[in-house]
Amino acid sequence: MTDVRSPQAGNGAAAPGVAEEPADVAGETIAGVADETETPRPGGFGAVAWARWAWRQLTSMRIALVLLFLLALGSVPGSLLPQQGIDPAGVQQYFTAHPALAPFLNALGLFNVFAAPWFAAIYLLLFVSLAGCVLPRSFRLARTARARPPQAPRHLSRLPNSVRYETAMTTEEASAAAAAFLTRRHFRLSQGEGWLSAEKGYRREAGNLLFHVALMGVLVSIGLGGLFGYKADRLLVEGTSFADTVTDLDAYHPGHLVSPNDLAPFSLTLDKFSASYVASGPDRNQPESFNAHVSYTAQPGDAARTYDIQVNHPLNVDAVKVYLLGHGYAPVFRVTDGQGKVVYDQATPFLPADQSTYLSEGVVKAPDAKPQQLGFAGVFLPTAVDVSGQLESAFPAPYLPAVSMIPYVGNLGLNNGVPQSVYQLNTTGMHRLATPVQVLTPGQSMKLPGGAGTLTFTGYRQWVSLQVTYDPGQVPALISGIAALAGLVLSFLVRRRRIFVRTYRGDSGRTVVDVAGLARSDVGGGFEAEFGELAAGLKSVHDHDSSPRSEETE
Amino acid sequence: MSDNLGLAQLSDHLLIVAVVVYSLAMLAYAGDFAYGRRVKAAGAAGKAARPVPELAGVGASGGAATPGTPEGPEQPTAAVPPAATADSAPGDAGRLGPLIRGAIALTYLGLAAHVAGVITRGLAVHRVPWGDMYEFITALTCVTVIFFVALMMRYRAWHLGVFVMGAVVVALGLAQTIIYTPAGPLVPALKSYWLAIHVAAMTLSVGIFFVAAVLGVVYLFAERYSRRAAAGLSPANHGIMRRLPSAVELDRLTYRTVVFGFPIWTFGIIAGAIWADQAWGRYWGWDPVETWAFITWVIYACFLHARATAGWRGRRAAYIQLIAFGCLLFNVLVVQTFLTGLHSYAGLG
Ligand code: HEM
Repeated sequence: MTDVRSPQAGNGAAAPGVAEEPADVAGETIAGVADETETPRPGGFGAVAWARWAWRQLTSMRIALVLLFLLALGSVPGSLLPQQGIDPAGVQQYFTAHPALAPFLNALGLFNVFAAPWFAAIYLLLFVSLAGCVLPRSFRLARTARARPPQAPRHLSRLPNSVRYETAMTTEEASAAAAAFLTRRHFRLSQGEGWLSAEKGYRREAGNLLFHVALMGVLVSIGLGGLFGYKADRLLVEGTSFADTVTDLDAYHPGHLVSPNDLAPFSLTLDKFSASYVASGPDRNQPESFNAHVSYTAQPGDAARTYDIQVNHPLNVDAVKVYLLGHGYAPVFRVTDGQGKVVYDQATPFLPADQSTYLSEGVVKAPDAKPQQLGFAGVFLPTAVDVSGQLESAFPAPYLPAVSMIPYVGNLGLNNGVPQSVYQLNTTGMHRLATPVQVLTPGQSMKLPGGAGTLTFTGYRQWVSLQVTYDPGQVPALISGIAALAGLVLSFLVRRRRIFVRTYRGDSGRTVVDVAGLARSDVGGGFEAEFGELAAGLKSVHDHDSSPRSEETE
Repeated sequence: MSDNLGLAQLSDHLLIVAVVVYSLAMLAYAGDFAYGRRVKAAGAAGKAARPVPELAGVGASGGAATPGTPEGPEQPTAAVPPAATADSAPGDAGRLGPLIRGAIALTYLGLAAHVAGVITRGLAVHRVPWGDMYEFITALTCVTVIFFVALMMRYRAWHLGVFVMGAVVVALGLAQTIIYTPAGPLVPALKSYWLAIHVAAMTLSVGIFFVAAVLGVVYLFAERYSRRAAAGLSPANHGIMRRLPSAVELDRLTYRTVVFGFPIWTFGIIAGAIWADQAWGRYWGWDPVETWAFITWVIYACFLHARATAGWRGRRAAYIQLIAFGCLLFNVLVVQTFLTGLHSYAGLG
């Protein structure tokens, strides 16, 4: 307990190269970082001197502040402009709407901000700065964890919190009593002739470091996901299946180090999709619930299991997750060509054009039709109503399903090498057949003029769009996040504080006790109260433990 | 799910009562500024020297961090005997004038109606009452007032009430007019217990940051005033300023408020990421709302760093804090309602 260190050693170990007194004593600064004085620019040509100067700049609080600002500023365009990764269609639209401006913005990477080199430069610099700032502090903390507090300042009454009182004890007795009192309260002590320093609250610094280190952990976790994760979409009609293979997925975005063999070997069938909607009132048409009932096998040969994928309720197969992103209708059409042959008979996914009524649009392409290829473009209406001659959908659920299709004949243009969307008809090589607008309900057909063929609307199914993701960085990111939060709370709750006691003989011959306190960090406030309580405690110790000898002197 | 229309209506009425009572409270606080001087004359001398005893004690310990004079020489800090701090603590309500006591009573009354309004809304829709923008704002302003009252019970700077009430009345008024959404069910994306967790954390932290922003603005006025007073440009003992905590105290109070809100906000972002992972298949995707939450978080972190950086504390830090709150408001009022994104937080009704 009375492990007395020379004040110099104690001070040096606590914070090498840092002016501990008097400036630090008066304020609540963090040793080494907070109030660093400007490093003078090196005068000569020494590369080492310059490098050291640059490093000190980079790891200074000021630069950290600037980089943080830049990071925030750099994110702004990412939210105001459409981003390639999130909204590629929006980027296309932007290019069409602003043909002059868009290429310029694109060159700056503003359509893919969070993958842009300059954005990476900001956060990498920030994290170098963070490492350069935090790692040395960690080492220092590891050393101070065993070090003793520095010598008490000479004039305690100059400190922000101090009291002075007299006691009947001798100076030695008073010192010993104070030491015992503070040790009982888990302060770490160092003592010398007539003085005593006590410190507590090292966990604050530890919390701060934990927080910053955990931030690096978050970044590393995100990197892990980018390297080893993958993400894909798949549109699946009721009654059909897909396997988690590169060829079977619609939009496949692998991480940099993912090979096709790494994909989880599951396969999945959509058995049934159901949705319910608010039927009346101001929120009419608003969806209430979606449910995709699927069966899946985790490995080829495994027994099939079933699951209900819902919003907020993904399917998890061996850490790969399958999410329900959207849904729609796939009317089933049968096309008979001019020679009486069935050239098309399948469910055809239509895309919702109106999210509230699920009026959906789509096309049918029958390239095998003879004598000429056939194409149809039109709409599907889940609840078809006639609003003053205009065909509309009144409700998103399929109460009165109907389609209305416009027929084309000619060349679909599928063989000219240009990839086509399955949701759009390229009518440049086709001409529209003159038919009156017809509304078909399930089972009804329309005959094409000139014996070109027949289109039958046989019924409908529903489709879902699923997202398949695998992200190995998820759990590390969560752990880092929680660690960061814990560090933050720790550093905000714990205050690092010192208590100094000096005992000496006063002019009256009695022992005078000076007690002073100093919060090196008092974010949460309340150190005054704690100091008051400690000082009162010390005083009562010094009043009570009066030995008989000191009473004689009275 | 059938919504209880009677309760929903009761909630609307209670919240209107809350706005009206808060407005009266604000008038009373303002009236105290304007006319309350003589009533308090007796206590004024003591108060001028140390309007908020506990705060003053705290301020003294931060000698080095005198925001009023960012780079100036250190203030000579007189030894404050702890006993004195303890004795003169809570400026007892007995010393407050009748107007301000009325204002405090109205604050409590308004708060009661406000809390009841939020609770009845929740009962009416059978879920947590923060499922759309209107509910979010009514809930967060409720947090603001509760936090303010708690702060004032501890620090006795009730005169700040005029600013807090003003801001709350504006926010609640906006919520009840252009943002108002009738009680209704949730879209499927919001049906998750993460709504309760994530949005609760956001509501709490935004409510607290709201108080910090108001304090920050008052600080800037107080700081400007103290600089002008030091330069002899303003009377040294202006009536209004005398009743407010000093710039140093305001600065510390602001800082503590942010420090209180920041971990909650951080938690809210983490909870949001977990929810996003469940709902959309990724924990972070730079959706506009996420991006702005990130920006806000980074700027609050800037504020915390600025407080620890020589030359940045004080006024500059205060501006950073206000920028951070500006980003928060932008996110809530503009991004969530006008920019397309995944957040299906029902916008303007
Ligand atoms: C990714 C960027 C960073 C973020 C988001 C961040 C965030 C934070 C937050 C929220 C705090 C307050 C929590 C506490 O006091 O423990 C803090 C404190 C601190 N940070 Fe950072 N930080 C970042 C980078 C840095 C860098 C690069 C440095 C070094 C130059 C640094 C040095 C410090 C120091 C010394 C404190 C303590 C200040 C005080 O006690 O008031 N930080 N940081």
